[in-house]
Amino acid sequence: MLKKSLLIGLLSVAAFISATAQKVYSTKTASVKFYSKTPAEDIEATNSQVDSKLTDKGQMRFNLLIKGFRFDNELMQDHFNSKDWMDSDTYPKAGFVGTITNIANINFAKDGTYPATVSGVLTIRGIAQKMQATGSVVVAKGKISSKSVFKLKVKDFGIKGKDIGTSIANELEITVISKYD
Amino acid sequence: MKKMIIAGVALAVVAAIGVWFFVFYKPTHFKRDVADEKGIVVAATAIVNAYVSNEAEANKQFLNKAVEVTGEVMDVKKDQEGKTTVALKGGDAFSNVFCTLKETATNIQGGTQITIKGVCTGFLSDVVISDAVIVAK
Repeated sequence: MLKKSLLIGLLSVAAFISATAQKVYSTKTASVKFYSKTPAEDIEATNSQVDSKLTDKGQMRFNLLIKGFRFDNELMQDHFNSKDWMDSDTYPKAGFVGTITNIANINFAKDGTYPATVSGVLTIRGIAQKMQATGSVVVAKGKISSKSVFKLKVKDFGIKGKDIGTSIANELEITVISKYD
Repeated sequence: MKKMIIAGVALAVVAAIGVWFFVFYKPTHFKRDVADEKGIVVAATAIVNAYVSNEAEANKQFLNKAVEVTGEVMDVKKDQEGKTTVALKGGDAFSNVFCTLKETATNIQGGTQITIKGVCTGFLSDVVISDAVIVAK
């Protein structure tokens, strides 16, 4: 009797572990690129030191440092980091925590490109906003990579630079590309 | 009158060149180069300890500054753009110093001591250093 219940107990523990065990894919060198089309000049910058994680259960997160964005034009980079814009002295980080909503359609064991939709919370300048993103998960010979595109309104994150809506667009596009280790 | 017009035109030309130089040319052609800056000298274990114990205070000291970090090479990899990355042991279970070099470097051996100078961009799970150059190895 004791033996049986012990066995059932062990089995249920094993079942629990296998149900919750998940594979975590991670990289510290994901890239986040943002792009904004303006009448004067396109604004573009890339950060290639992004900490990014994905599990095969569809949990996704990334964290980055605002001062890690590199612009072609260093004057733009200074503006970007200034108080009116990202205020990176006060808010040095940004991050996202979310899930792939159609994870059931993604087979991490089979090569392919799987369209993905992501839903979660993006935090920039200390302001958290619910966001949706579209993208894909690519499985190739056991290597996993992902791409997601966020479209956001700069004013949603308390950015109030005076040129927004005129020479600077209201919306910008953020592309996150992670090639997991 | 003629003199004034000439002077006016000359002034306008100088102003135009000035604007072009400082707004368009200089920011894209003369970038910050830490190699020219005096870095804050710090051990990899010390900067990690500073960030782990008080991130806000450490940011006041190091954020966006040139830092010259010395430590033991944990691993050398390449990022998505092909740039060399070097992780220095931070003496902490979760945190190290993660440096991305400006130029590709070969011949960096794991386990050796190295001194790297770069811009400290802050703290994720590691202290992050970008645009770095090798000072000594």
